[in-house]
Amino acid sequence: METFLDLLSVSILISAFILTATKRINTYIKTFQFQSLLLVVATFALGVYNLLTEGYFDILLLSVVIFILKVIYIPRLLHNTYTKVEYKVEKDFFINIPSSVLICAALVILTYYSLQSIDSLLSGHIKFYLVNSLSVVLIGLFFMITRKKAIGQIVGFLVLENGMFTTAMLSAHGMPVIVDLGILVDLLTAVMIMGMLVFKINERFDSINIDRLRNLRG
Amino acid sequence: MNEILYVILQLILVMLVAPLATGIIKKVKAFSQKRQGPPLTQMYYDLYKLLKKDTVVSETASWVYHLAPYITFVTALAASVFFPLTASLFNLSFQGDIILAVYLLALGRFFMVLAGLDTGSTFGGMGSSREMMIASLIEPALMVALFTLGLIAGSTSVSAIISANQAGSPLILNPYSLLLFSAIFIILIAETARIPVDDPSTHLELTMVHEAMLLEYSGKHLALMEMAAAVKQLIFITILANFFLPLESFLTLSNPFLAFFIGLALYLIKLIAVSLLIAAAEICTVKLRFFSVPNLAAISFALAFLGFMQFFVIGR
Repeated sequence: METFLDLLSVSILISAFILTATKRINTYIKTFQFQSLLLVVATFALGVYNLLTEGYFDILLLSVVIFILKVIYIPRLLHNTYTKVEYKVEKDFFINIPSSVLICAALVILTYYSLQSIDSLLSGHIKFYLVNSLSVVLIGLFFMITRKKAIGQIVGFLVLENGMFTTAMLSAHGMPVIVDLGILVDLLTAVMIMGMLVFKINERFDSINIDRLRNLRG
Repeated sequence: MNEILYVILQLILVMLVAPLATGIIKKVKAFSQKRQGPPLTQMYYDLYKLLKKDTVVSETASWVYHLAPYITFVTALAASVFFPLTASLFNLSFQGDIILAVYLLALGRFFMVLAGLDTGSTFGGMGSSREMMIASLIEPALMVALFTLGLIAGSTSVSAIISANQAGSPLILNPYSLLLFSAIFIILIAETARIPVDDPSTHLELTMVHEAMLLEYSGKHLALMEMAAAVKQLIFITILANFFLPLESFLTLSNPFLAFFIGLALYLIKLIAVSLLIAAAEICTVKLRFFSVPNLAAISFALAFLGFMQFFVIGR
């Protein structure tokens, strides 16, 4: 069980790295979908484990909700936005890809050292999960900063949320189910509103490049 | 005595198996395109035919051009001796250091690059400069991955790494070895001139890297160069197969011959598995633009470095 969760947490981290190394908006959505699928597998495994040992089935329920929302619905929503908008490939970044991958590696070290101070409180595996999932949070944030297009920033936001969810799920076996559901509904509305905004921005400025938002338009 | 026996056996096996790996990859690719494809033994025929042919040498070529195929071939074979193919060969092998093996390969590459420059043809020069760029991008990742493997085993000798692999739990199930496996897999693709980095099947394109350096060679020299490339590919496949996929750990037979043959069969299964993985990577991707290769190298370096970090976090 622990080896399995170890592998999953590493795979989630790898998928975040793959995300920073891609530049096609289509690939962003697919990578996010893949990461969410890994998250669902982890949640499902924990849910079954919890049901067998303690008899609660709320994590299992949560895994189904995440599957519907993050693996099916949100990627489809993003895909619809993507087909309506003309820009398929991001060509200019604030930081080029090799350096941003290296910076992400540095973020992992940063997470590791920031957890050193509470080292004595954590057992080996929990610390390992924390390093991986908090790194995903930081990488998502970094991804939001480096991309200029609005869809990239939405995906960054979603990855950030994935990271936070992984942190809660792997290190503490989940928050109370009502909190998780609340966060998911928040996420859904945020993505829907952002998707509509991207569409409107595109319609108004003929581009989803956020730099253009500074231009005045009569 | 044992060492001499080991070296002879290992060299024969490497020479026999190396063209087979290329054949498997070509066959799988052909099947994915609904073609019959060349037979698995095609590269043996090619080498045999090339060895019978005359060698044509440019008038402007210097001694480097004549010497380079031999040096490339010999260094690749010498490096292959460090990586025993099966478990029972490993019992005979000597304490080889992995860093020496890597830089023996680098020596071979250095002479191949010089030979590409030597005749003064445009293609050769282009291929050489590209090859050096890819090599310098990939080398940090390779060294970090190998040092991490050495750190896990407590020694950079190949036999220590393999025995640490066989003694402990299956290494592939550790999170850091998953990272190292993917890092070394990307390195394999870049080092052996496979599709996202270089296309091995084209022979007249402006984008070729490895083939451009060999463009001037013919006959016996070309046979040696191609064989060296196949051996190098086999070395990386063996690293993946024997460092990460320990099938032999349950093999404790008293009869050495039986153990040897079962070990060889298991090695061939692992070889086919890794070749399938390489072929799948070739089928699913397209060739990268040359200036996108640094992205791939950065991912490979980041994966190797993460493996190193994870090893520190989680411990042995």
